[in-house]
Amino acid sequence: MPRGIAARKPVIAGLGLTELGKVYGRSAASLAAEAVTRAVEDAGMALADLDGLLTSNGVSGGVGLGLQGDLGLRELKLLSEMQSFGSTAGAMVQVASMAVNCGMADAVACVFADAPLRPGRGAGEVYSAGRRPDRPAGAPPSGWGGLLVSTGVAGANTMYALAARRHMLRYGTTEDDLAAVAVAQREWAARNPLAQMRDPITVEDHHNSRWIAEPFRKLDCCLVSNGAVAVVVTSAERAAHLAKPPVHVLGWAQRHPGYQMRRDPEFGLVSGAARSGPDALAMAGVALDEVQVAELYDCYTYTVIVSLEDYGFCAKGEGGAFVSGGGLARPDERGEARSGRLKLNTGGGQLSSYYMWGMTPLSEAVIQVRGEGGDRQVHPHDVALVSGNGGILDHHSTLVLGSEATA
Amino acid sequence: MSVGPVARNEATAAFFDFAARGELLILRCPAGHHSGPRAHRCEVCGADGLEPVAACGRARLVSWAVVHRRDGSTSTPAIVELEEGPWWWTALVEGDAAVLAEGLPLEVVFARQEGSEAVPVFRPSA
Repeated sequence: MPRGIAARKPVIAGLGLTELGKVYGRSAASLAAEAVTRAVEDAGMALADLDGLLTSNGVSGGVGLGLQGDLGLRELKLLSEMQSFGSTAGAMVQVASMAVNCGMADAVACVFADAPLRPGRGAGEVYSAGRRPDRPAGAPPSGWGGLLVSTGVAGANTMYALAARRHMLRYGTTEDDLAAVAVAQREWAARNPLAQMRDPITVEDHHNSRWIAEPFRKLDCCLVSNGAVAVVVTSAERAAHLAKPPVHVLGWAQRHPGYQMRRDPEFGLVSGAARSGPDALAMAGVALDEVQVAELYDCYTYTVIVSLEDYGFCAKGEGGAFVSGGGLARPDERGEARSGRLKLNTGGGQLSSYYMWGMTPLSEAVIQVRGEGGDRQVHPHDVALVSGNGGILDHHSTLVLGSEATA
Repeated sequence: MSVGPVARNEATAAFFDFAARGELLILRCPAGHHSGPRAHRCEVCGADGLEPVAACGRARLVSWAVVHRRDGSTSTPAIVELEEGPWWWTALVEGDAAVLAEGLPLEVVFARQEGSEAVPVFRPSA
């Protein structure tokens, strides 16, 4: 019988999602409190069982250390606000797992919440407004950020479009390849009752959607959602007596490339997945070909393609050919263990289901590993790979999750 | 495309002083390496004591996007590689989208307007 740290394997025991999408009239803080409450109930625990809390904001802000008071939590052993953008959800689970593993805490809730959408206003408009620094009305922007705004080099759409263009120039990735990702993920979303966009789309629909920032069209870009998602991390020992099948956190890693922005850096060509993937798999003792379902961060279609290459699901530069040439499993193949195709973003991802930053791939992975995926449930579902990507490819997290069979 | 107005602050004062006289400020370390204007230490060797110098103004195109606005207007933000080495995020002007290609030779020009500092942007070399 292992003792000490070895006995305290971390697992995800609870998952809580609020209503997601056009959820108006509620603050991010209120949504965060509801998600944590739901995650605790899902686990079969009480709020008072939590002794750790990690929080993560989207662009609307307002979720922080005060959440402890909102939830009435006492004597927490771990409390922090974390920020590495889209990789934060994975990073929170990693910190929670380490805290549980070493005995610092027993049950840590990790929550992300955001509420940028407003009735009657466009998603792109509210999203960029949420990120713009305050300045007096009519005053021109200042500082280095202001210089970027003046030259139109502002916002994630533009920055990722510049990264994607570089990938296309270097490797021959095409607009049809980008479309293949959007179309495939929408097929999965059609089977996900949580998804905001469930109507099937074709490559032609993708090409007919309006330009945002070439090479990206509207259907290359993620949604914007209001809502919150939380998970509860505890020990396998404790989870054995709880309500839901434990989802084991088998391996984890991060990479923050620190691209040197001068002569030929890897920007746009290689992401932090290239190094965090092998590290996380090695910690888990899992080979890449044992991964049965991959939930990869998809702020844009391009992000999926570069991540597939970096994790090694295909060779560098062949991500476009992989997604266009039959590398992805269709939902109808979800029960085929040996189709040779990758079951990817099985809830529709951020392109089609809901945009909760790194909580989108994480929540879908928890649902799949538990076997709660309904019409989109894959088989087998014992090993899942989850990525988080933040900044402009600046921050990357990987989680390897497993069912009880892998523990 | 039209370049929007921008104001100086403490961090950008020297940069806009250079821009006002038609120069693109970059930084040079004691060993002669060049860094972008936002660097705190040499991007190549980590040295302190960076001094502002004018870039030669020549660059090559690394990547570009074409941003479409709701009003039908477009702009062409880009990453360019300065001849001295650093990358610079800027706007392309006067270039027909059809001629844009990786490695296209570019030169700096300065957009000037009332109520704004001069803003360096790039166009295909004559």
